[in-house]
Amino acid sequence: MKRTVLDYALKIRLPLTLFVVVVSFMLTFYISRPERDSVGYAPEQPIKFSHKLHAGQMTIDCQYCHIGVAKERHAIIPSVNICMNCHTVARKDKPEIIKLTRYYETGVPIPWKRIYKVPEYAYFNHSVHVNKQIDCVSCHGNVKEMEVVKEVKPFTMTACLDCHRNPHDNLPYLQKVNIGPENCSACHR
Amino acid sequence: MSDSLNSSDKKELWKSLQDYNNDPESLKFKHNEFLEEVTEKFDPEKISGISRRKFLALLSASAALTATACTNYRNKGEIIPYNNRPEEVFPGTANYYASTCNGCGQACGILIKTREGRPIKIDGNPDHPINQGKICAKGQAGILNLYDPERLHNPLYNSKIVSWKKIDDEIIPSLNETLTNGNEIAVVTGLITSPTTKKVLDDFVVKYPNTKIYSHTLLNDEQRRNAWYECYGTYDYPAVKFDEANIILALDADFLGNEGNYIENMRKYAAKREVVGKTDFNRLYVAEGRMSTTGMMADYRISLSPTKQYQFVMTLINELIKNGSAFSLDASARSKVEKFQSSFLNSSEKEKISHLINDLNANRGKAIIYAGDTLPKEVHISVNLLNEVLGNIELYDYSSASKSLVKQSTQQEVSKLVDSMKNGKVGVVVQFDCNPVFSLPEDYGYLSALKKVKTVISLTEAENESSAAGNYTLPINHPFESWGDANVRSGVYSLQQPVISPIFNTRQKESILLTWISGDSNSYQENFYHQYLMNNFNATIYTKKNPLADTKTFWYSALNDGVVLFNELSQRAKFNLNAFSASKEISSVTDYTVHLTESYFIGDGKFSNNGWLQETPHPVSKVTWDNYASISPKLAKQLSVEMNDVVEVKVNGKSLTLPVLVQPGVDHNTINIEFGYGRTVVGNVGKDIGFNAITLMSKNYSSSPFIYENVSIKKVNGTHKLASTQEHHSLDDTFVKDIHRTRKIIQEGTVEKYKKESNFLHEGKEKLFSITNEHQYTGHKWAMAIDLNKCTSCGGCVTACNVENNVPVVGKDQVLNGREMQWMRIDRYYSGTPDEPIISNQPMLCQHCDNAPCENVCPVNATNHSPDGLNQMVYNRCVGTRYCSNNCPYKVRRFNFFNFRDHFADAYYENDLTSLVHNPEVTVRSRGVMEKCTFCVQRIMEARSNAIRDGKELKGTDVVTACQQACPTTAITFGDANDPDSLVSKLREHDLSYHVLEELNVKPNVTYIAKLRNTHHSQEIL
Repeated sequence: MKRTVLDYALKIRLPLTLFVVVVSFMLTFYISRPERDSVGYAPEQPIKFSHKLHAGQMTIDCQYCHIGVAKERHAIIPSVNICMNCHTVARKDKPEIIKLTRYYETGVPIPWKRIYKVPEYAYFNHSVHVNKQIDCVSCHGNVKEMEVVKEVKPFTMTACLDCHRNPHDNLPYLQKVNIGPENCSACHR
Repeated sequence: MSDSLNSSDKKELWKSLQDYNNDPESLKFKHNEFLEEVTEKFDPEKISGISRRKFLALLSASAALTATACTNYRNKGEIIPYNNRPEEVFPGTANYYASTCNGCGQACGILIKTREGRPIKIDGNPDHPINQGKICAKGQAGILNLYDPERLHNPLYNSKIVSWKKIDDEIIPSLNETLTNGNEIAVVTGLITSPTTKKVLDDFVVKYPNTKIYSHTLLNDEQRRNAWYECYGTYDYPAVKFDEANIILALDADFLGNEGNYIENMRKYAAKREVVGKTDFNRLYVAEGRMSTTGMMADYRISLSPTKQYQFVMTLINELIKNGSAFSLDASARSKVEKFQSSFLNSSEKEKISHLINDLNANRGKAIIYAGDTLPKEVHISVNLLNEVLGNIELYDYSSASKSLVKQSTQQEVSKLVDSMKNGKVGVVVQFDCNPVFSLPEDYGYLSALKKVKTVISLTEAENESSAAGNYTLPINHPFESWGDANVRSGVYSLQQPVISPIFNTRQKESILLTWISGDSNSYQENFYHQYLMNNFNATIYTKKNPLADTKTFWYSALNDGVVLFNELSQRAKFNLNAFSASKEISSVTDYTVHLTESYFIGDGKFSNNGWLQETPHPVSKVTWDNYASISPKLAKQLSVEMNDVVEVKVNGKSLTLPVLVQPGVDHNTINIEFGYGRTVVGNVGKDIGFNAITLMSKNYSSSPFIYENVSIKKVNGTHKLASTQEHHSLDDTFVKDIHRTRKIIQEGTVEKYKKESNFLHEGKEKLFSITNEHQYTGHKWAMAIDLNKCTSCGGCVTACNVENNVPVVGKDQVLNGREMQWMRIDRYYSGTPDEPIISNQPMLCQHCDNAPCENVCPVNATNHSPDGLNQMVYNRCVGTRYCSNNCPYKVRRFNFFNFRDHFADAYYENDLTSLVHNPEVTVRSRGVMEKCTFCVQRIMEARSNAIRDGKELKGTDVVTACQQACPTTAITFGDANDPDSLVSKLREHDLSYHVLEELNVKPNVTYIAKLRNTHHSQEIL
């Protein structure tokens, strides 16, 4: 039987094209996924604040600055007066501290670059998680090692639900932990 | 073309001078149709290298490149902390400030909830002894006025923006000028509730001695006050202990609707409508011409024209003194009473009246008669006597008297003012936060007299009829931006504090006066009145209370609590019988009577520009965005009119054309119209809404400014559609008649029956079974119970829900399409006859059914069930099929047919300012999604996270829904049905509990407690 052009097109050309399209789509989709979830996002901040220095070397507790984390919904980015608790004295002559002091004295708030954001229709509450003994590191990575803070885990609904469904696997350091709520209105209102 | 043209031929038609002169160039143009270059051969080499296709490709490529290069899609913006965070402000956490409501003259205590410095919700202040943590619809929705984009932004002189400095520089000399030329300064105010404002006014009079203060409020209690003065020698009348009365007779008194402090009245009334633990009911008789909220609640309702109230009271006195009297009447009083032989006792209402007389006789000392604010003084005097006859001394609370700081100006005083204005004797008129042009009857001629005054200054939040007639319009702070105080009840002094700095270039109204008092335009300071208030507080309240704390500490603690209480017991004076003997007799009339009452929600027109209040359905008729003539079915038949037909009402030559509403239960001769509508100079929302009933009012009334006799009413051509949220089907229609009873939507009983057999409601009911395995709720299970014995249909819950859950205003056209968005409604059902209807109210909201029919039909699982029993709605999933709404038996789902904020009145509420009113805890829904009551899931989650934070077990009582918080009678209970000790689970097991449409077996989680009517017979109603 003679092979026609149509045979070639239907049996070889078409499947081959489809295969290439699907594979390249899937590759792009999965490879770019963390990128799209902005994992690794480490923008330059208006002041080169080093978590590695403060939280790592000097072992200042996270809650010294992020005072809301165990009490309220927002951990809150510290207001400048918290920085000034030490920096009215400490390292006053360093250029970044001079910059900080200028912000404080002029009354201009510091426009920090936002790294973590959940959408407006998702209502996340820090205090609930922290009071269930969940470590900051579990979501924010080892900030103590970071010179510049970057996002290490995706903050997607999949990521939330993964932990809510399998807390034991995701939070092995917790002896007693219940599964988190999975219903819609736990986060959305 | 003609070649024979030569220069000598002059043309008649020519296009240009060249043409006219037959210029050779012009001829060439005529010969060649195309220009030379155009007809040349096409040469691709000659044209530009960039073709159209290439250009477009380049354009799109560069656009795409720019888009990717310039936007960092990972950029999440900035997060900006405070520079120096105020200690009490925590992002994402609400703060509450105690203050005082300025919505009406009752000055209830409020708590203002602020988030990140902006007020978002008003609740009652639980520490306030009068309203005790509750606040009415007006008070709650008042927050929308703060964010009204049409508030005045700047001071105006003849509609041109000028600076405050210039204003003060001009006004102070003109005030001084009156001093020299002997003209009067007239300060016209509304109701003054603040002793410190009164002091400012007094200081103003001291500085400018030619000043006279006038006070005018549209609906006032002057008739009651004057009657009390004549009977007891004081204008301060005591509060009534409705909670201790066994029998209450309300005479055209809407004490549960909008008279007196109705929040307090409702609470006290409902205290004797408790079905948990005891059944010690009061019995409410209402004799009224209109159909009011109180009338709906009546156990016995007698329909009676307001002009016959006097006769009715006298008849009652006459009947009751036959069995003795706690107060001895002299011969003249006796003879005055005895003239009223009981024509009522033979009327069609004789059975009810004989019950009433028996009850009053049997409950002497415990049976209060309460007459309405709109009734004439003479009726009030007779009612005072009647209460004396019954010996109801203990039912008056003399420690809580209603005070009058500035007396209402009498008709003579206002007439005199208008005369002096006309004669040029008034140099300056200051309209101090009031609207006399709108609220004074036209025959005073105030508006035309105002034009004769050289300087007319209006202090107002937004442009109104009065400010439009003046030349200086000075914007004042909203109450939430103002300092203040109030003392309207003896022993209760409350403070008002600003919770947001002034949004616009406005000033505190008292500070404006203080600047003028100082006589120096440079003396104004922002804290002018704040200081003044503190000084006055220290001089009066601090010394009166004499606490151990120093002044500053005491001031801050008073500010924190919002209220300072002290003992101020006034002695009861003896009843002055002469007042009764001297009072004129009111003859009853038989022709048509117009009875003007205040609107339930927009007040005297003050809240006209508030969309939430305009859209709150009327408690009885459920009409929104309009007023109407409420007439009886019999009169409607006589005039052959139906709802939406237009009639002309004529009184003493004044006429008003407005639509009718056929209201079952209204007296045949009474036409009830609500005033407050028909504002002409007002923002976009309230403009030309409704009809101005004040046009019917006259300064020369016969007995009461709100009741006019000799009315003619006739049908005129045309219709006006009233937007009602509940259809008005005929009570005679056999198909729908009493369908709410046959389908057991409304289940009721009587107290007698309940006492005899408490389980009567559930007798003969089939036990329902399920064909599937029921889901087990192991943790919390949220549930609500609504006690229909207590619900007065006041609408407080509806408004609270609107504010809490960001419910948009849709406008009248959309209400007509049935697209109102309120998550909660109060259904009103009629049974009985059109002349004597029995009314049942039922708040209706999402029932959060265990077997919710809406969930099964959603193709995208946008509505589903949570493990704690909530019927959840996921806006992001919703594709707007509306199947769920179709399948909902309770019809409580609301669909966003538009982005209503954008759709209403040219995006009136879609602006940066009004968006600040939104509760950040609740998603603002957009077009195309379904929404409904969530049981205030944001509050449940907040309580849950607080419990986790504090390491406590979450209890059902930790969650208070917005409607529950607002309900003045605590008819709404919310909690955990799985907690056997909780009130809600007790109510679910109560003998009187039932579910609406329970035979559907959808297992609703809203339980209703059947209403018991306290009648003399035990047979079930219908």
